[in-house]
Amino acid sequence: MSDLICDNYPMLLVMSRFGISMGFGEKNIKEVCKSNNVDTCTFLTVVNFLLNDEHTDVDVARLSECFSMDALISYLQNSHTYFLDFRLPNIRRKLILAIETCPKDVAFVIQQFFDEYADEVFKHMQYEEKVVFPYVRGLLKGVKDSRYNISIFKKRHDQIEMKIIELKNLIIKYYPGKGSDLLNSVLFDIFSCEQELASHSIIEDHMFTPTIMELERKISTDHER
Amino acid sequence: MNVNLRIAIADPSVIIRSGVEATLKRISSLRIYVDEISGADALYEYMKKHQPDVLIINPAFLGYYSLAMLKEECGCSRLKCVALLYAVAEHSLLKQYDDFITIYDSPEEIKNKIEKISNQYEVEKTEGEDELQTLSVREREIVVCVVKGLTNREIAEQLYLSAHTVITHRRNIARKLQIHSASGLTVYAIVNKLIELDDIKK
Repeated sequence: MSDLICDNYPMLLVMSRFGISMGFGEKNIKEVCKSNNVDTCTFLTVVNFLLNDEHTDVDVARLSECFSMDALISYLQNSHTYFLDFRLPNIRRKLILAIETCPKDVAFVIQQFFDEYADEVFKHMQYEEKVVFPYVRGLLKGVKDSRYNISIFKKRHDQIEMKIIELKNLIIKYYPGKGSDLLNSVLFDIFSCEQELASHSIIEDHMFTPTIMELERKISTDHER
Repeated sequence: MNVNLRIAIADPSVIIRSGVEATLKRISSLRIYVDEISGADALYEYMKKHQPDVLIINPAFLGYYSLAMLKEECGCSRLKCVALLYAVAEHSLLKQYDDFITIYDSPEEIKNKIEKISNQYEVEKTEGEDELQTLSVREREIVVCVVKGLTNREIAEQLYLSAHTVITHRRNIARKLQIHSASGLTVYAIVNKLIELDDIKK
């Protein structure tokens, strides 16, 4: 397990979102998962998927054998909590400190831009929590809510990292004040946050959604019988 | 050479269009995308929407319009125009074109002409790249309007433009600045002093 994390440090996030804490000693992945009550297959599927550069839809047929949707949902929820309760507020705090020295009006609009962005991310994730996940939990129990289907989600699921890329570009291209270590550090945070959001979306678009579509198909054919 | 060129062929005859397309595709040094336009009505819509790099057009196709008008109305100022001739044409007619090909040209001749056009296009494009980053006066006016929260329709009324032109300008602004949201433009406008903070808060 430690080899995996040291070679690919973004996997640290995956690990903690699955609820695995550090301090696992020399145990291998399977043992660590087992002692943390984590579904090894789901964990490995997510890890391999993120490490694989080509992001196409997962092979659902091969996946369904051992893959746990419950585990994936709790992974996604933890990931949401991470962005909303930790990552974005943290960047905001640092950003405000970093732009303190630049003209008041510029600081104001940058902060406003960021808050609007954070609000968009909140709504985006809130929608998943309030609408999509409950729907999927229903599906897992074999109940299909006829008013909804996952293709609605597929269609409206936009790339939330686009706007933060814009903020980064705005700061780099137009920031009027003197640069500082803190500002650089905020930019580094934004760069990596962008990457994290992209990985998060990839899981949702290419692993979560196709699996749900397959589940929907199964349930509707069961009904026809 | 490894240039991507979008070429539109405008001619009423499907045989001629397909013939030109097949010949162009044989010119292996260029990577080209070819679109066919069969009617004069479709021409304007196509040009506005797709903005090709080169237009190969039968002069009879244009009717009363001039190429200059076409270029201006469709916002493709860098468009290269090649006349497609069935017979010998008057010199004055050809003046507004960058070059011409006739249906009796050999593949080699056509190849040379298209390559020449493509080179010119590339050169002008690189020259134009500096201009690409900064906004024109008109574009800046539009940024200010967007930041004030005006809709496209309101902007059109205020600046005496068509709604379509406003949309084209907005697309160009987004392309030049890589800013796609209104709140992003607000930051741009404040930083570049196009607007005061008080103007927005109202």
